Amino acid sequence: MTTALVVGLGAVGTRAARQLIDTPGIDRLLVADRDAAQLAEVAEAFGRDAQAVDFAPGDPIPDGVDVVVTALPTGVDHPVVTAAIAAGVPVASSEEEHDALDQLRVLDRNARGAGISVGIGCGLAPGLVDALARHAASMFESVDEIRVARTGWAGPASVNTVRHERRVPVRTWHDGNWREDHPHGDSLVWFPEPIGAREVRTVTGGTALLVDAFPEVGRISVQLGESPKRTRFHRRFGDDGEWGAARVEVWGRRNGTFDCTVYGVVERTAVAAGAVLAVVAARLGGALQPPIDRPGVHGLGALVDPVSFLAELAQRGVRAAAFEGVAVA
Amino acid sequence: MLRWSGETASSIHSRAVKVFKRLLLVLGAAGAVGMLARVRGKGGVPPTTGGWRELEGPEFR
Repeated sequence: MTTALVVGLGAVGTRAARQLIDTPGIDRLLVADRDAAQLAEVAEAFGRDAQAVDFAPGDPIPDGVDVVVTALPTGVDHPVVTAAIAAGVPVASSEEEHDALDQLRVLDRNARGAGISVGIGCGLAPGLVDALARHAASMFESVDEIRVARTGWAGPASVNTVRHERRVPVRTWHDGNWREDHPHGDSLVWFPEPIGAREVRTVTGGTALLVDAFPEVGRISVQLGESPKRTRFHRRFGDDGEWGAARVEVWGRRNGTFDCTVYGVVERTAVAAGAVLAVVAARLGGALQPPIDRPGVHGLGALVDPVSFLAELAQRGVRAAAFEGVAVA
Repeated sequence: MLRWSGETASSIHSRAVKVFKRLLLVLGAAGAVGMLARVRGKGGVPPTTGGWRELEGPEFR
């Protein structure tokens, strides 16, 4: 019997909760949100499958919870993750902003000491792309470079994070060292159709999670597409959210030659992030096989077995694709 | 004589100003194009011939 607590019922949290309800191993779902009206609405929509609870970041984790899922605005995850580690409960977090990710990574020693597995950056990118990078890297004898790109956003909080990431100085992993630079102009990246070519800019994002997962790789970069120019008042998110795409290129050596593998995925950003978050949480809670038991704070490149993880996501409708062609670059 | 010299000096001065103005215009235009290129970013190279194939089967085993 597995009980999951979902904290934050925005675009990603609501979809993660829906995915968890549809997971046979999850017997009980608790949901919490600071917006009482949103909480009541979601709890009513889920009916008897979910139970609204009075929980706020900073509160102790309720008794009987086997796994905590956080889908909160940037920086709010930390007290929830801290409380979960203190309570001995694994956590899956959709946090994606680099400073907030660093604050969560600091909790690694605490999590290891408590024997608790914490998955952070559980979204489209960071998240699914980290698992795709792991999958692609397994095909090489040695990996020289990993390039990740994403376009799209899940909800208003995600838009704010995208804008912030594209504005602030960038930290990239270059020749085995961190290099800080100001944001440069955009460049074009080709995502799977129907997204196609989009302008992206190098950001810090989840680079540190990839460096943690692939410490032997010399160059790692993350690029992020432009956020919408529409104002807060004119922006409208449909029921299914906005379309997004991610792409990961892994360059390395195999069979004595320098080669590249390119994976991509197109999905509504909130749907993909919600599915990734739910699958990681279900595995951390032991509700889905194979369970994840890797004490510490990790990104998905280090936390999940990519093959079974991608297969599970494909069953839930989030399918990755491989680019097959000859690069002219 | 003085009138003649004065006209020559004025004519030369006027030509120099015109050249200077044109030079400024060219430099301004070049700067604007450069700024536009920087704002719009560098063009990437299309990944080219080929296409995307959904991961399935052997990749998931």
